[in-house]
Amino acid sequence: MSALQQTLLLTQWQFRRQAVMLPLLVVVQAFLAIATVLGFGLVIGDPPPEQALYLATGAPTITLVMVGLVMTPQMLSQARTEGSLDWMRTLPVPRPLFLVSDLLVWTLIALPGMVLGILTGVLRFDVDLSVAPWFLPAALLVSLTAAAVGYGMASLLRPALAMLMSQVLVFVILLFTPVSYPSDRMPDWLRTAHEWLPFEPMAQLIRSGLASDAFSMPGRSLVVLLAWSAAALAGATWALRRRA
Amino acid sequence: MGDDVLTVRGLRKRYRGRRGVQANDGIDLDVAAGQVVGLLGHNGAGKTTLVNQVVGLVLPDAGTIRLDGVDAVAQPHLARERTSIQAQANVPITGLTPRRAIELVGRIRGGDRAAVRTRTAGLLESLDLGPWADTPAEKVSGGIARLTAFAMTVVQPGRLVVLDEPTNDVDPVRRRLLWAHIRDLADEGRAVLLVTHNVREAERVVDRLVVLDRGVVLADDTPAGLTAPLQDALTVEVDLPASATGVDWHPAVRPGATARGRAAGTVPAAAAAEVVRWAQAEVAAGRLERYGLTPASLEDVYVALVGRPHEAQQAEVAA
Repeated sequence: MSALQQTLLLTQWQFRRQAVMLPLLVVVQAFLAIATVLGFGLVIGDPPPEQALYLATGAPTITLVMVGLVMTPQMLSQARTEGSLDWMRTLPVPRPLFLVSDLLVWTLIALPGMVLGILTGVLRFDVDLSVAPWFLPAALLVSLTAAAVGYGMASLLRPALAMLMSQVLVFVILLFTPVSYPSDRMPDWLRTAHEWLPFEPMAQLIRSGLASDAFSMPGRSLVVLLAWSAAALAGATWALRRRA
Repeated sequence: MGDDVLTVRGLRKRYRGRRGVQANDGIDLDVAAGQVVGLLGHNGAGKTTLVNQVVGLVLPDAGTIRLDGVDAVAQPHLARERTSIQAQANVPITGLTPRRAIELVGRIRGGDRAAVRTRTAGLLESLDLGPWADTPAEKVSGGIARLTAFAMTVVQPGRLVVLDEPTNDVDPVRRRLLWAHIRDLADEGRAVLLVTHNVREAERVVDRLVVLDRGVVLADDTPAGLTAPLQDALTVEVDLPASATGVDWHPAVRPGATARGRAAGTVPAAAAAEVVRWAQAEVAAGRLERYGLTPASLEDVYVALVGRPHEAQQAEVAA
């Protein structure tokens, strides 16, 4: 049995277990993505072209980050509480595959919302996108990193605390992260903090992937993002391997 | 024995925390191929901790676990390949049907698609799960869920099969089918470790019984070996009329437990006839409702082993 086959079987298991909730999850995701675009539109009114581009490309980032940082920890905490995580851990499956299959499920759930968010942004703000050929793998990297951070958080913290953390993160990411607006509006200390956090690089990657004519991806940001990705994956794998 | 599948030596595990618990305190245990070994013990005796160490969910403080030739402590992934486990809690399978869940687990465990499908159909048939096979899991009863969990465990079984309370919630008819299956697993050459506190039923399928209490093995023998000391004794049980406060036992009876309206005692086999005459007269006089004599059971042995130290300890604490 190859690792790929085993991953797909696990994904199938996780997917089918969510089957009842799946349509609802996808709808809620799509709703959130659209609401983010329209809501920021209300707050700001009719933005100038550059700002419009920020808003239109920020919404898909927020969708991907929310799924990863909020939904993934909630589902993992639920699996821990209901006992299915412990059972799955008795299966002869390499530990990282649990992570990969979960991330795959969550990415698939997030994708429709992301696409709808992009379309809504284009229609609402009347912007022209120039999608880079590498946009899809870039979106996957963002989704994977966000989900790995969420996964690590949910594995290391107690379920109740993990849930609380994810609530706080929603608020912080929506308002205090340079996703839907340029970072020069922030106070210096916050800007410095975001140079080391993964959220700004995520936004930059999606922004430059969707509007490659107007934005480019700084090399430093890519390095920061990859470092977070590697660290979160390593942490989550370590948590899955850990023995009580 | 040469064909031991599981060999545990000197296993110790203490859970840290405010009230640290010595869950396993030097356990030795062997399960050979072809054997069903029953692991008996109260809640908190250390059974689940033992099992979780075998599959690498819990790391022992000391001791060794050899499983089918591999060191399960150093290489937990190899141990998991060789073990299939039915956990005490039911695996949540909402969103799936029993058939789909069994087939998926069989394939995740490395089974070939066609073989797993055939074996799943066979299990559903022989456990009489046919009518529920394709019902969404959220609509099946606890007993059916339990049997599904069993089938998920044995659809692609490892060399060692661990079953934790497999008969919970299962109806009496399917219980028999289940016990027959468990016996078959061993007869096919697998080692079966059966964790239970249902002494009465386990007695009929196990080759050996290990009694665990507070992380220590109190006894390890065949059912016959364990009951041997009580071979010459019978258990007498009586039901009291509502008005009675106690029993004035026949002198040959060693009084045992008394509960509201019921009492039990032990009778030497030689005095059985005399005690029957006494009990018959008591019934006629209205001092007993009814009575019965049964051979001493494994349950009696178990209670004698596990019950007494607790009472003694409680007495110590009280004093």
